[in-house]
Order: sequence, then C-alpha cells, then structure tokens
Amino acid sequence: MLPLHSSATKGKMHRNAFSNGQAGAYPSGGNGTFSIQPHKFQPRSQPALRRRRQLIQRILLVGGVFFTVLFFFFPDLRPNLGSGPLSYLTSSDDGQLETIRYYDLNNVQGTARGWEREERILLCAPLRDASPHLPMFFSHLKNLTYPHNLIDLAFLVGDSKDNTLQLLEDSLKELQANEDSRQHFGEISIMQKDFGQKVNQDVESRHGFAAQAGRRKSMAQARNWLLSAALRPTHSWVYWRDVDVETAPFTILEDLMRHNKDVIVPNVWRPLPDWLGGEQPYDLNSWQESETALALADTLDEDAVIVEGYAEYATWRPHLAYLRDPYGDPDMEMEIDGVGGVSILAKAKVFRAGVHFPAFSFEKHAETEGFGKMAKRMKFSVVGLPHYTIWHLYEPSVDDIRHMEEMEKERKAKEAEEEAKKARLEKINSQFDSKSSDWEREKAKVQDAVQKEKNDEAERQKQEEEAKKEAEIKKETPAERFEEKPEGQQAEIKEEKVDKPEQVNEERQEAPKKARDS
Amino acid sequence: MPTPRSLRRQNPITLVLAAILCIGFFIFFFSGGDGSSSLGERTGSTAASVLSPPSLPFRKSKSNEPPAAPPVVNYYMNNVTTSRTPIENEEKVLILTPLTRFYQEFWDNLLKLSYPHELISLGFIIPKTKEGNAAYAALQVQVAKTQAGSKNKRFASVTILRQDTESPLQSQSEAERHKMENQRARRGAMAKARNSLLFTTLGPTTSWVLWMDSDIIEYPPTLIQDLAAYDVPIIVPNCFQRYYNNDKKAMDIRPYDFNNWIDSPTAKEMAAKMGKDDILLEGYAEMPTYRSLMAMMHDPAADPGTKVKLDGVGGATLLVKAEVHRDGAMFPPFAFYHLIETEGFAKMANRLNWESWGLPNYLVSYSSHSPALVFDVTC
Repeated sequence: MLPLHSSATKGKMHRNAFSNGQAGAYPSGGNGTFSIQPHKFQPRSQPALRRRRQLIQRILLVGGVFFTVLFFFFPDLRPNLGSGPLSYLTSSDDGQLETIRYYDLNNVQGTARGWEREERILLCAPLRDASPHLPMFFSHLKNLTYPHNLIDLAFLVGDSKDNTLQLLEDSLKELQANEDSRQHFGEISIMQKDFGQKVNQDVESRHGFAAQAGRRKSMAQARNWLLSAALRPTHSWVYWRDVDVETAPFTILEDLMRHNKDVIVPNVWRPLPDWLGGEQPYDLNSWQESETALALADTLDEDAVIVEGYAEYATWRPHLAYLRDPYGDPDMEMEIDGVGGVSILAKAKVFRAGVHFPAFSFEKHAETEGFGKMAKRMKFSVVGLPHYTIWHLYEPSVDDIRHMEEMEKERKAKEAEEEAKKARLEKINSQFDSKSSDWEREKAKVQDAVQKEKNDEAERQKQEEEAKKEAEIKKETPAERFEEKPEGQQAEIKEEKVDKPEQVNEERQEAPKKARDS
Repeated sequence: MPTPRSLRRQNPITLVLAAILCIGFFIFFFSGGDGSSSLGERTGSTAASVLSPPSLPFRKSKSNEPPAAPPVVNYYMNNVTTSRTPIENEEKVLILTPLTRFYQEFWDNLLKLSYPHELISLGFIIPKTKEGNAAYAALQVQVAKTQAGSKNKRFASVTILRQDTESPLQSQSEAERHKMENQRARRGAMAKARNSLLFTTLGPTTSWVLWMDSDIIEYPPTLIQDLAAYDVPIIVPNCFQRYYNNDKKAMDIRPYDFNNWIDSPTAKEMAAKMGKDDILLEGYAEMPTYRSLMAMMHDPAADPGTKVKLDGVGGATLLVKAEVHRDGAMFPPFAFYHLIETEGFAKMANRLNWESWGLPNYLVSYSSHSPALVFDVTC
C-alpha cells in the first residue's frame, strides 16, 4: 500500500514542479492544471516554499482519504484510542473489551478476619424442587451480616419439576434491585444442568438405605459441577448452604470464619413436634473416624459407600450431632473426618488444591463425607463445632404424618365427646328445675353461723394470749425452748425439696433412652 | 473581490478530495454507530462484570458511572456440547499451561493454532520463583502484544495466576527434577498447581480443556480439531523430543513422556504390596513395572489414526472434555491408588467411568532446549 501511495504523490510532485517551473520561467505557457494565471500581479512567495506547502497539503489529503477508506473497509485496523471521548472514533467493542487478567493466589488464602481484608466468599447452593423453601432461604440471605458485595452467589438448578428456576430468578432480581446498594450481592450465576436423575426427592425415598449410595453420588456430581463452574481466582472462601435451613445466626459466616480452619461445620439439629421429643440431631454425616468403621471399610467392595445413620452399617463413630450441649461453649472445636453438607465453610484453597465431593467411592465414602476424608488426606484441618447449632427444617415423614393424623382424629373424637357431654348437661339443666338455689341459701346460713362461732373463739384466744404474754415477761427462759421447735420443722422440709429434683432428673434421663429405643 | 479569486485559485481536485474526505468521515461516524448497536448480539460471549468467569472477556466499566449491582446471569450448561465438530458447534476451548520456563516457540505455535482464536481462552499458572518471574515477564510481553494486535489472532481471554509453590525445589534442572525421591514432592506440588489453575479458570461455558506443557513447541496447527475428532473423554498424542543423534549424524526424535501407559500385572502386584502413601513411578530402573508405554508404540509406518486405550496419561499435551473435570476428576496431589498427578487423574477419571485414549502415531514435540532425560528406560 505504502509504495503505491508515495509513488502517486511523487508523480504529482513532478508534474507540479514542472508546471510551476514553467509558469515561473515562461509566463505565456499557462495551460498546466496547477499553473497560476500570469496576467494578474500577485505577490509571490518563494516558489520552493510554496511547492513544499502544496506538497504537504496533498500528502495530507491523500493520506486522509487513504486511511478513511482503509478504516472503513477494515474496521479491525482502527487504532485503540482508550476509553475516553475519543473511543467513539474507534471500532465499537474492541476498545471496551478487556481480555487479560492477572491474579495472585497468595492474596486469597483466607484469614480469620476476612471481612476486614475484603475476602470474597462464594456461596453455593444446589437446588432441586426447592421452591417451597426459597422464601425462607432468601430471608436468611438478606439477614447475613457479612458485607453482601463480597458474597458471590452460585446456584445449580437441575431436574426441577416445579417453578424453582423462575422463583429463584425473580427473587434474585428483586434482591439486586434493592434501593440500598449495601444489600446488593456480588456476582450471581444460575447454572442450569439436568443430570436426568431418577431419584425422587421426597423425604421417604431420600432417606431410604438402598437409595443412599446412588443418591449421594449424584448429589456429589451436582456439587462438583456447581463449584467448578463458579469458583474464581478472587474467592478466598466457599460456603455451602442447604436451602432448607430454618434457623441460623445472621453472623454465621463470621462465626465460622473466626476459627480460621480449612473446613468447618456447625452442628445441625432439627426441631420436632412436642410428641416426638421437641428436637433431634439432624445431620449425622459429621463424625470422627472409628476403628470399627475402618475395619468395616476394609471388608467392603471397592464401589461400596458407607452411609451413616442406618442399622446396616454399625460404625460406632462419635457423631458431632450427639455431642451437643445446649449450654456448652459455642466456640468449642472437635476434629472430625466426615462432613455434613448442610452448612460447610471452607477456604477456597481447599477446593483449588483439588478437594471435591467424590462422585465415586473414595475410601468407601461419597459426597460430603468423602469430601471430609479427602480434605484430611491432603492434610487440611477439618473441624466441627458441637455446641454451635443451626436448625434444619422439620419435614414430617410418612410415619409422622400418619401419627399426626391419628392424633388429630383422637383430638377430634375427644372434642366431640366433650361437646356431647356439655350438650347433655345443658339438656338436664333446662329440663329439670334446679334445687340448687334453696341449697345455697341454707348453706349460706350455716356458714354464717360457723363464722360467728369462729369469731367468738378468736376473741377468746386473743384474751388468753395477752394473759400469757404478761406471764412471759415475768419468766424469760421458757420462751427460748419454745423457739427451737420451728427450726427442726424447716430442716425436714428442706430435705424433701432436695429429694424431688433427683426424681425429675431420673425421669429426664429415661426420656432420651426411650427416644433412642424407639 | 477576494472570494471569487480564492475560489478560482482552488484547484478542482482539492475540492473533490475535500468532499470525499467529508463523506468519508460521515460514513465513518455512522458505521461506528452501527457497530455499537450490534454489540447486544454478542453478549453471550462476554462476561457481565469483572467478577465473571475469567474464560470470558469482560467489558470495561466507565469509571465515572456508579457501580451497578451485578446482574443475575443464567448459564445453560445443558447446551454446552463436546462433539466431533467443535468449530461448527462453537465449542469453547480452555488451554491450560503450568508455566515454569517461557519458550518463544511455544507462544508462536500457540498463535498458529487454526482453531478460531475467539473460542480459545488461555490460562497460565506461574510459581513465584526467580525462574518464574522471568517467565512471567516474557509471557506478559507476548500476551500484551497478541491481545492488542490484529483481531483474528486475539484470544478470547488470558488469565495469568501466580502462586507460591509449596515445596520449591530450588534447582529445576532435569537431573535433579527426575530423581526418584524428589518426584513425589515435585509432582504433588505440580498436581496442586494444575488443580488451582483448572478450578479457577474452568468457566460454565467451557467445552474442552487442553493441557499443554510450556516446553511443547511443535505440533500441527489443527491439533485441537484433530484430537477432538476422536470424540473421546480424554486423549493424548505421543510426545517426542528432537535431538541431534550423534550416531546417525542427523536430527532424530526420541520418546519423552513415559506417563502414557497401559497397566501391567507386575505393576498391580507391586501396588498391592505398597503402603498407603507410596507411589509407583514410571521410567526408573529400580522400579521395573513392565507397563506398556505408549512412547514405545510409535511406528512411523503404521496408520497415524490408531488409538489405544490407556490406564495412565501424561500431561504434556492432553485434551479433556470439560465434563470429566466437572464430575470431579482432578490431579491427585496424594497417592491415589498409588498414582499421582496426571497418572492419578486417569485413574480417577476411570473411577468416574471416563476412558483415556492415546494416539501413538500422532506426534507433538518437546523443546530440544530441555535437556535429555538422564535415566534409562526399562522396557
């Protein structure tokens, strides 16, 4: 392109120089295109200067045309003029696209006071047919005290048959449209992926023993897909949270983070109706490894998965859930090997190192339990907080529902019975004249008479006491002996009181035993 | 009368040129406007904000605007395909490289890839060592040059990570690197670097992951299409090194990557006798495994399209369907069935029901600058 361009100007320049020269030297020959009319007087600049000026003008003109045409036909070649007002001249999207990113992973290792260092958290929640729980989940989200702009949300919605996706999207958009910009969360992604699972999500099929291994593996797969698509080099922490948590402290992120452990879980219980004992340990997947379980693992097939909380595998492991003391120190830590998935806070470096939720049998465990095992294998610290409790939603099982129906029936029968009784009484009252008014009149008379007698007696006693006092003033010693008696009586009463609480304690201890037996 | 005279003095050609210039500028402005209106169509390939996946380029925010709340972004992962015809399906490829040394040939070859560059994202992880700093600086220069250069050479995005290595082996010399006792620590650290790189750059739109070592400097430009055409979960070409053969007095090739193998009963027996944390290594005389190495199966006369099923793979050049990684197959930094790093990866993928394949007659080359291996091969 360039040689062509310069040669063109050169050609012109030659012609120019020639015609100018001609005009200068021979005024009569003014037929050249660029010649100056000779018949008029003009103060002339020096020909050399003028020639140069014209030359420059032409070069600029030709150059301008050339670049205009070039940029018009080849927008790729337009120069990048930055993001200022000049950027309107450049081709549209290139200048505004940033394609190179630098990250230093040493800055995102996770520390105990992440909110001060502006450490980002990735909150992951796998969802399926979860629309009934979403409003509750979002109220929890809004209440989190960790700076919202530092929390990135990632959801995986798959194989849902209800309106989970629509509801989720609407709720999230509402969240981000909040007038208070401090309520806005960071990056929000919804991954849609159907794995085509056949496993039913209702309570009964979800917790049946036979379905467990397969269910855990497919859950693990969903978790891995979610994490691998959502984890960024900017994350210091990853928080896994089930949507069906009913009660949790608003400060849960800070509370767990303060411990500065690689993987940490709270204790998870669930409330129960009164007739079932009021409350119950829910998440049995957080446990410490036991010799029995290790021995059991050795006997099992390569693809077998040990699941906790079933009679088929008696592991005798100490469970985090059973160690709860409602009045215990919430900061107490306990080393664990298996982890429950209701609420896990882990440093992002754990996931970056490759720890994931095995969708195969890893050391005879899958999903979150396998995650705990793998984290331990890579020498990360895995810790549970036995006395820091969050509450899972209570979903009545089929048995419970049947029981509740029976109870409801009983209650109704009782009510009906009582109503019938009442009606009968009323019937009797209305049908027969009551003699009660006569009775009461007579009763009042009798009472009056009794009262009179009592008053008389009291007056007589008063007189006697006054007489006694006069006698006491004379003799002081017998009065002391008189005071000793009441003390002894009080002591006896105290002993009785001490006895009673022990009985209550015995009753309390018996109650949980019954619950376990049943 | 100055006006007519000045008009007369103007050359008609000048006027014509000026007119062209004016029209040109008008067209230029309006065409610019058209371009910006077509932006909306391409939002699928750009990220919503800086926070979004690094495998997508993102739009710069105007500095004077108040930051808007990040939008809710839907990713339809059901639509992410991995097929025999990746270009037609616009499948995004993520090329990941743990970088220890920067070779100019490596970058030049990357640029020569015929796969559409707007579908390729690059990811690098570089250790924070002296050597790493040098590689980082060299890489930065090349990346900046390419990404500011002509549009069809530009990659969709480039992510560069730095991380302290856990067990910094001070000397990365070949002899030191391949000493058996150093192998476990070195490959464990390498596995962690690979995992860090993988799990932070793998985006929701990625279809394929191509692992490529920084010293691979020669391969056909159609590498991605060629390997994808086999449509298998994990596939490795055969890795060779060019060297000057003193016996033949000519350039020759020799096998380099011994991590591509088919398991043998001997190796299984050895593994059964080992402790929980011990690992089996390939290519050491003191540990004869009698595995069939793909490096030894190379036959220039045979069909170049032959593929064999493998039990262990190397990471020099490795094309993996993204769903294999998404299912959880990673590079174990610990002894997984007595295997570590890429070999362990093949085993873990196998546990997740994904198969590994090798192409003994499809060659890629190591840099001849990397020194020759010092140990002798056992089979």
